[in-house]
Amino acid sequence: MPPNPAPRDLRSRPARLGAPDLGIGVGLRIKHYPEIFDEGQGSSMGGRPPNPRAEGSSEETRVDWFEIISENFTVPGGMPLHNLGRALERFPIVQHGVSLSIGSAEPLDWEYLRKLKALVSVTRSPWVSDHLCWGSAGGVHLHDLLPLPYTAATVKWVAERARAVQDFLGVRLALENVSSYMTFTSSEMTEWEFVSAIAEEADCGILLDVNNIYVSAYNHAFDADAYVDGVPAERVVQIHLAGHTNHGKYILDTHSDHVIDPVWDLYRRALRRTGPVSTLIEWDDDIPPFAELAAEAAKARAIRDEVCGAGPR
Amino acid sequence: MQAPAELAALQGFLAVALRGEEPIAGDAELAEATRAHVAGNDRLTPAEQADLYRVQFWLRHHECLADDYPGLRALAGEDAFDALVRAYLVAYPPHTPSLRDLGADFVTFADGWPGFPADRRAAALEMVRYEHAFIDLFDGAEPPPLDPLKLQGIPEDAWDRARIVLSPLLARLHLEYESHLYRFAAAEAGPDADPPPFPARRAVPLVLYRRDLFIRYDEVDPEALALLDALAAGEPLVAACDRVAATLDTAAAEALGAKVGPWFQQWTERRWIVDVVV
Repeated sequence: MPPNPAPRDLRSRPARLGAPDLGIGVGLRIKHYPEIFDEGQGSSMGGRPPNPRAEGSSEETRVDWFEIISENFTVPGGMPLHNLGRALERFPIVQHGVSLSIGSAEPLDWEYLRKLKALVSVTRSPWVSDHLCWGSAGGVHLHDLLPLPYTAATVKWVAERARAVQDFLGVRLALENVSSYMTFTSSEMTEWEFVSAIAEEADCGILLDVNNIYVSAYNHAFDADAYVDGVPAERVVQIHLAGHTNHGKYILDTHSDHVIDPVWDLYRRALRRTGPVSTLIEWDDDIPPFAELAAEAAKARAIRDEVCGAGPR
Repeated sequence: MQAPAELAALQGFLAVALRGEEPIAGDAELAEATRAHVAGNDRLTPAEQADLYRVQFWLRHHECLADDYPGLRALAGEDAFDALVRAYLVAYPPHTPSLRDLGADFVTFADGWPGFPADRRAAALEMVRYEHAFIDLFDGAEPPPLDPLKLQGIPEDAWDRARIVLSPLLARLHLEYESHLYRFAAAEAGPDADPPPFPARRAVPLVLYRRDLFIRYDEVDPEALALLDALAAGEPLVAACDRVAATLDTAAAEALGAKVGPWFQQWTERRWIVDVVV
């Protein structure tokens, strides 16, 4: 395997498929609303916790943008939309979905897509992401991100659907590589060849989840570096970082812990190819205090600066 | 364009296998069928790999229903709640992409489920209905507030036929137990705490509603709830008041007349009333 290209000044590289570089983000979580919305008076920390975007906020607490789970906000009203409005006043918001089921053999869910499009008009999300997976068959929804067989026929099927979705939404679609616990006997190519082929044929973006690459590489014994090196770098519009749970015989993608060093290394490797790309720390379970999550974001920022050079703030 | 036949077949097979109640690895025929599709590796057999998803299916949906029905979970007990959830998901597999809709048929199913302990069944069924009411209130669309100018513009003689429109963010509940207090205590304590004491048996006319983004409850007079029920059914205000008064003795019926005005004002302030149609 040839060595990863040496670092160089990548600040002049244009945005990926027109997508902006938003910096380092985290997921929008109810638990962190007091910090995000500056409601910290009387908190156990004493005084007001720092606003993540306030003038003079320290690097340790700084967050540049937030990712929302689209499905939590495709609702008619109530607290979710209220808090989304508050977040939109202060931060760029990017939509990330879990229900697109782009790889399902069933027809696209146009009711869901209409809700998604309506939400985009509110959030002005610069791209919309979801997973390269399937989740429903025979009218039953499993509410999971199930892997696909890596075949030419699947590429053709998924790419056509992805193109239709992207055209309908009117905003760039980014498909995320899922972590997986099974592969299929019918697969004809590597996962990264599969992801790349779909992205090229659909002309869509890639949300490169380097933790998922690590998890899947562990579970299926492939070379994670080859995966990172094998995707079209110019199509990566966002990177995900997350923790997981290692059970020995397999790893589960639990998003419930810190990013481990090998995943940080994959992040470095990815950045050497892509240049600065909007990066998100995913932490969805056993969610820590905001300061701990922000510290993880600060680590990502430091690595990004290390690889890409410190860019404009 | 049609999906590839092989893809559809694979997904059809897995959509059933990954919802099984028992491990795939323990079913020789199913494990063999899984082997035809799933590669496996030197650490996990194809059936064991697929079982990781099967286990996640049950965990995820159990957690979702536990989040929506914390009072029922505490009241029925973990074993009964788990058995109810499993039976429900078998009878009503998830059929929409949104987990919010997972419990759409939960009340109906629970009504006919025989697994509640006999001494808790009535309280459990009431708790299911009570907690189910929260779901629509949480993220329902906020109706526009009642226009006071509209009220002022209604002629005196039109009030006989005026119909009161109640907020869609309001649920009227005739409780027989203190389910509202129990649910609050169970939710506050969390799933790992000991359940609260069994809810007291008491007739509680209750209004559950959303105001200023928060879901609240008010215990109301029995006559007030009866009046709200009649209004919700579309009865004009005066006829509704007459109907409720007819159920009362003379003194109570006279007292009702003095209460309606302040109730109307209070219900308007709480945004329980969102329109008056003449």
